[in-house]
Amino acid sequence: MKSLNLSRLAFALYLLIFFTYLMGPLLVMSLTAFNSPSFPSASPWECFTFEWFSVLWHDNHIREGIYYSVIIGIGTVVLSVSMGLAASIVLTQIWPRFRSAFYTMIIAPILIPGVVIGISTLVFWDRVGRLLGAGEGSALNGFFHNGLFLTILGQSSFIASYAMLVFVARLQRFDPGLTEAALDLGATHTQAFRKILLPFMRPAIASASVLAFLASFENYNTTTFTIVDYKTLTTVLAQKVRLGIDPSISALAFSIITLTVLAALAVEAFRRHSANRLAARLRGGAAGRLLSGFFRGNVPAVLLVLLSMAVIVTAGVAQRYDPTQCKVAVQAAKKAEIQRRIKALQESRKARESAAPATPAPKAPNANSGAFGNVFAPNNLPGAPGASQTAPAQESPSQKPGNGAFGNVFAPGNLSGASDAPDAAPDSPPARPDNGSGFGNVFDPNNLSGVSGGN
Amino acid sequence: MKRKIIFADFFRTNGVLMGSILIALVGFWLVFLVILPQISMLDYSFRFNLPPAQQGGPRDVYTLSNYQHLLYGSDATHQTYNTIDLMVFLRTIVAAILVTIFDMILCYPLAYFLGQSRGSGFVRLLVVLLIIPYWINEILRAFALRIIFGDAGMINEVLMFLHLTREPIDFIRQDVALYAGLGYAYILLMLFPMYNVIESLDRNQIEAARDMGASWPRIHRRIVIPHAKPGIASGCTMVFMLSAGALAAPQILGGPSSLWFTQLVYQWFNNSLNWQQGAAYAIVLLVSTIIIVLTFMRIFKVSMGDIGK
Repeated sequence: MKSLNLSRLAFALYLLIFFTYLMGPLLVMSLTAFNSPSFPSASPWECFTFEWFSVLWHDNHIREGIYYSVIIGIGTVVLSVSMGLAASIVLTQIWPRFRSAFYTMIIAPILIPGVVIGISTLVFWDRVGRLLGAGEGSALNGFFHNGLFLTILGQSSFIASYAMLVFVARLQRFDPGLTEAALDLGATHTQAFRKILLPFMRPAIASASVLAFLASFENYNTTTFTIVDYKTLTTVLAQKVRLGIDPSISALAFSIITLTVLAALAVEAFRRHSANRLAARLRGGAAGRLLSGFFRGNVPAVLLVLLSMAVIVTAGVAQRYDPTQCKVAVQAAKKAEIQRRIKALQESRKARESAAPATPAPKAPNANSGAFGNVFAPNNLPGAPGASQTAPAQESPSQKPGNGAFGNVFAPGNLSGASDAPDAAPDSPPARPDNGSGFGNVFDPNNLSGVSGGN
Repeated sequence: MKRKIIFADFFRTNGVLMGSILIALVGFWLVFLVILPQISMLDYSFRFNLPPAQQGGPRDVYTLSNYQHLLYGSDATHQTYNTIDLMVFLRTIVAAILVTIFDMILCYPLAYFLGQSRGSGFVRLLVVLLIIPYWINEILRAFALRIIFGDAGMINEVLMFLHLTREPIDFIRQDVALYAGLGYAYILLMLFPMYNVIESLDRNQIEAARDMGASWPRIHRRIVIPHAKPGIASGCTMVFMLSAGALAAPQILGGPSSLWFTQLVYQWFNNSLNWQQGAAYAIVLLVSTIIIVLTFMRIFKVSMGDIGK
């Protein structure tokens, strides 16, 4: 029994690690979308803000990228879904001897690196253009070097394989007898296709289209070669991320995550709804007509409504909310912090010059009063043993530029007065000026020197 | 559907119009989007990088120089090897294999758990949770990891808080971020194929084995893994091919000096404008990854038909 509990615990730990790995980065990124520093970071928390969403909204590159991404997505859906459907029908009818070879050929594009697909598309259509005598500047030349055209072709070549996999799964359950019956009753082949096969395949076509659109929308490896002088959302993003990152990208990611969650909930809610209705019909009751019937026994639907309301309320609040005051306070705190550190540096230098190890230094002005002051820091208690002697030197390592609004109230260095550490004074390093990243150093191990290194 | 049909039968079954449309679509896909582009890239890789005026002229002949460049660099005497590019190539392949193994080990227990415990609300929740990161853009996922692995990122702060390190560790320069990012980007492509095959495994087999006194490792080795082999192979193939061919993650998470092989290809194309050289590098990447995948498939005795199921 004990070993069973242990293995269960180990499995729970494993699940925790797995989902932390999967979700942790996305959660941290979502948090950074609401924090005010212009480098995306979740700690220290400065000001809660919506400004990155408005930066995102007014970013013309991203808007343009989304516009072209949608155009390419639609083109890719049309082309790849029809090619995938055709290939899956051919696969079910092909002579068995050729079947595995044919399957290998239509599955191969999934496995070809996207970079290779992009390059080969670019090279091939460049050559086709030249073969057709499209010289520089002619209309035909422009066509074969058009980024949208090339990207749709390049993406379709492997997205069609994804679509094909969806169709093959559905086609396995199709009864060809239905088509034969329709033909016997005098339908033409086209009619049989349109009236029998197509309705049967409709759910698969819908899911393949969604899959194809999303795959096209988020493709980067192929697109970056074939897009030439256009841009899509992914290429714009890649450029932004490489040149320098800012939280408006986090804001975009957060929006996409929210939309994904909403869509997943909506799908799940309607699935549950139709299942419930089916169950009700089997029981013989009439249910599912009224709105209340929609929510009964349907957790995703309730969550969906709650989440949508939360989004709407947040958007409304965002219109009114103004973090300026908080930002001013943070600015002031930062400025005061820098001033204080300069002072502390001077003090510690003075103390080092004048104080021999044994002579007690005059009680140093406490340099560590952050935005919240240091009311509770032990150094303010004159009775603390050894405090007056070591305070200036002990304070200096914890004085880093860029401590946020939290100051160093919680830094363990503030507790240094409690420990008796006469030798620490000359050895302790001066404040490091290279640390001005604005992230505060609340967790910097140097802050702990008073506790651990002092003796 | 398992009737032997030949070409005429195909048109009899589908009608002339529908049959031609089907053939045309499949033909367009395979010939114009897959086969001919690959052939023309292969052809390109054997040519000199000539200005447009000389193309098709007397100097436009086949050459191996693009491949020689990968081996020997620009050294015309072929005395010294092009160690920089070759090392990048080797590292790309080795790292892609390691990433694949890492993902496989990490995913197997979860795939087994999801596949064998059916129906409960907790499992449904886990599946939904898994799908969400799957639809987030690859670039945004790499971006998320970059925030976390940065100098002042979450991980460094936690490490320093726990006294494990005094200075922030440069994860980006050490390539830790890159490997974590590659594993992160494609982990679900490992999980879902495994999950699909394990789900189809009859539970009674496991219970029978347990009744007969088999230990857990033995059950997995003799029953679950042999059954799940097509799914594992499928997942491994996809993760390996995609991480060897990844471009976004290395560009965003790679250190300044480290290059992924695809980045070399990218540079030849977009910075040096030497398409022929880039095509040669791309061919080398394609051929070597295919050879590696086929070798592993031969070793573990899985067929191509298992991929994508």
